[in-house]
Amino acid sequence: MGIYEISLATLVGINIILALGLNMISGFCGQISLGHAAFYGIGAYTAAFMAKAGAPFPAAVLAGMVLAGLVGLAVGLTSLRVRHDFLAITTMGVGFLFLGVVRQQEILGGELGVSGIPSPGLEKTGYMVLVLILAAFFTAFSLWIKRSWMGFAFEAVADDEDTARVLTVDVAACKLTAFAMGTAMAGVAGGLYASFARFIMPDDFGFITSITVLSMVAVGGIGSVFGVIISTVILTLMPEFFRFISDYKLLLYGALLFGVMRFAPEGLAGFTRAVRKAGIRSAGKKEAAG
Amino acid sequence: MMRKLGTIVLLVGALAFTLAGAAAAAGTIKIGFHAPQTGFAASDGKSATIGAELAVEQINAAGGINGKMLELVVYDDQAQPAQAIPIANKLIGQDKVPIAVSGSYSAPTRSAAGVFQESRVPYISAYAIHPDITRAGDYVFRTSFLGEIQGKAGAKLIGELLGKKMVVMITLQNDFGKALADGFKSMTRDFGIEIVNEYEYSIKDRQFGSLVAKVKADDPEAIYASGYYFTAGPLVSQLRAAGVAVPIIGQEGYDSQKFIEIAGKAAEGVIITTSLDRDSDVPETKNFIEAFEKKAGFKADMVAASAHTAVMVAADALKRAGSTDSEPLRKALAETHLKASTGTISFNALGEVVKAVQNQVVKDGNWHRHSVIDDPGLLAPPDK
Amino acid sequence: MLFFELFVQGLIHGSMYAMIAVGLTLVYGLLRILHVAHAGLFALGGYLGLLITNATGSLALAMITSALIVGLGGMLVYRLCYQPILDRPPYVPLIASIGVFIAMEEVFRLVFGPYGLTYNHPHLQSQVTLLGLNLRGAEIGMVITAMVLLGGLSYLAQNTRIGIAWRATVDDPEIAESFGIDAVKVRYLNFFIGSGLAAVGGIFISLLSNLVEPTMGGVPAYKALAIIVLGGLGNVKGTLVASLALGVVEAFGTIYIGSYLDRDAIAFAFLIAVLMIRPQGLFTGR
Repeated sequence: MGIYEISLATLVGINIILALGLNMISGFCGQISLGHAAFYGIGAYTAAFMAKAGAPFPAAVLAGMVLAGLVGLAVGLTSLRVRHDFLAITTMGVGFLFLGVVRQQEILGGELGVSGIPSPGLEKTGYMVLVLILAAFFTAFSLWIKRSWMGFAFEAVADDEDTARVLTVDVAACKLTAFAMGTAMAGVAGGLYASFARFIMPDDFGFITSITVLSMVAVGGIGSVFGVIISTVILTLMPEFFRFISDYKLLLYGALLFGVMRFAPEGLAGFTRAVRKAGIRSAGKKEAAG
Repeated sequence: MMRKLGTIVLLVGALAFTLAGAAAAAGTIKIGFHAPQTGFAASDGKSATIGAELAVEQINAAGGINGKMLELVVYDDQAQPAQAIPIANKLIGQDKVPIAVSGSYSAPTRSAAGVFQESRVPYISAYAIHPDITRAGDYVFRTSFLGEIQGKAGAKLIGELLGKKMVVMITLQNDFGKALADGFKSMTRDFGIEIVNEYEYSIKDRQFGSLVAKVKADDPEAIYASGYYFTAGPLVSQLRAAGVAVPIIGQEGYDSQKFIEIAGKAAEGVIITTSLDRDSDVPETKNFIEAFEKKAGFKADMVAASAHTAVMVAADALKRAGSTDSEPLRKALAETHLKASTGTISFNALGEVVKAVQNQVVKDGNWHRHSVIDDPGLLAPPDK
Repeated sequence: MLFFELFVQGLIHGSMYAMIAVGLTLVYGLLRILHVAHAGLFALGGYLGLLITNATGSLALAMITSALIVGLGGMLVYRLCYQPILDRPPYVPLIASIGVFIAMEEVFRLVFGPYGLTYNHPHLQSQVTLLGLNLRGAEIGMVITAMVLLGGLSYLAQNTRIGIAWRATVDDPEIAESFGIDAVKVRYLNFFIGSGLAAVGGIFISLLSNLVEPTMGGVPAYKALAIIVLGGLGNVKGTLVASLALGVVEAFGTIYIGSYLDRDAIAFAFLIAVLMIRPQGLFTGR
């Protein structure tokens, strides 16, 4: 593996953690968030300043995770007040507020961002392995949540809040838990990114990043852990695949988002399910015919 | 379907292989280059890329580097650090370029600089202004001014050359605007300038109604406004439309024919601090301005000239080093003394450029020379 | 005096927001879709308006033609993009819409170049002194046009058969249909009018800045969403009030608290504050 492949694999791992975090909130629990990048940013900024202050790498990432989770919990409180599209726009507003605050605080680096973030103390390969192990851990964690009792409660909230309430599901607790866990994962991803790029700027964590993450989740199939992972890999590597037609790269990206939502609205996961079903059906037909 | 896909992959692979083979056979030297070609910064990326390509064509037409032809390896970074990092790794790991040039903004350039430094591949930033870029290490150089230096030059231009003392600052909210503002403010006392007020705006703003109303009420003697041609064009025309007639001072971000096109008559008299002198007698600059317009079909701007200069500096170092090995190349770069389209380039210990600031003024719908600031004390970049 | 001037500038900015946001809220009221691609149609309006003006020299012709073409474009977006996925959860059309918007921005860049276009002979740049204020022709033109178009729209909605059918469909599509109203026709009409308004807005904005660029829809793409939420999603009157209110808040905010928060953050802080007090927006329901 060359350094190019290593850098890509590291980026893919970070994005998987980021996207699985949003999948927890929007996929499992049905709360659409358009401000996920803010928590990614909180994690990155916290870890960056901790590391610069001399904290060891794991402590820095952990601090980013905790702070992002705590702010996420606070934002989760708004989801108790506003619902559906109102919530989507509120979370979008949280993203812009985060950016606006960071931009104007000289103490946080302001417009110039934070540079000179210390190296995590691992070689590039070692760091990639660490990131991928963490990505695998959060994959397992997501699967475990999904199959646990909490996962069922989340699903009930996602399907219909009022019915869930009748079934004595504690809707508020579900939403808050989902927000706290999902945003904490974004915080981890941010901490990992800060040590990978070793330079961060407010614009790294803007609205476009939020949209990109939501696209990863939606294209993969909202709620499907493996679908989200596959689409994250594809969408992260897409600019690299299409380097040879770089002028049309972003056009293709837009077309892909539209195409998947138009023709496979349940995302890649739904698409494979449909193909499998069709396969069984046609196999069945063949058998019947034969 | 899968088989078809396989064929395509094979074909593309084969094509890439032959191309790579051809390049190796001809004995070319690669220069890595990244710039935003899609997304919001595509206009600057396009100018920069054409400027860089022009430099390579000119060098190859003149016989190349010690008998070898130059090849520019261009990647699109969308002005995003998350893309610039893999690109830097690709240029180093796959394309194995001995030297690279950034035709991009600060964030991607600063992120990529760390990667190049770590792999000990010399890297030149053409026009990104972030102060920490060259601090990535001794393999990173910059052929343009720091934002702060330009801000200081702006203060001298207003306070000394124009003799205006009551100034309103209109600052763009990004690294460029902030660095300029810092530099400007650091010199206000020296030139007796009093800052009446400072306002900030976002790079996305095109309508400045409330800002203009307030500036008018402030009634300053001059306005120091940072921005790019696409923000400064509307800003200047709206200030003039509201009857604000005092001098407006800008920087290299304005430096494009497009600024004059957007602001129209309102652009007349606007003065900027930049690095491309339209009325230059220096053959390097004159030739560049003519050759660029011929190649691109539109007039040269600061970004294009900066990318052109950076590639020329890279080529010059390759020539003098006589090798593509990293250490001799870095040494050759550090010893650069080259006349290029944006002035005479030489570096200090940090890898920052030391050159004169060109003040340009809009006259009859074109940029022309206003004055030159060549004050080594004022323009000295930091050296650590 | 300065306060009055800032207030007027806020209203001008707000009427610009209104022209964009009304189309968006019409779509939301009828279909419950966050129609981000609306900002792409707005930019298309700017491009067409500039190209036609530069080719013919007539701004009026450009406005009418561009509004018609973009109106049809809006209908096309509905037919191709939204109609097949209306029964899906709301994030599906949202992502599809974002995809269309990104693709549109890129098409503008590929076709017209990344540098942006300017008017050959800038129109309405002359200054007018009104109530002691220096205003530009384009600013006054935009406010008057917004008032006429939006006023006309509300008149149509209240007093014509088609308007009544439209309001009935927004209120309750099923009952409306049982009264023989063709819901599909109403939707097409909805997209036609909303997109046409956005096109006119796009032309005025390009006149104000003398610049049409591929990314000119970037800010309306999200700002207009905030406005319609503030106005109570789907409520036209609320959207108008929210547009003007946001214009004024931003006009004062950028001057007096601009060094603590940027313009977007000011707008969204205002939005979040309002939503926490009134979770359904300024005006409840439809």
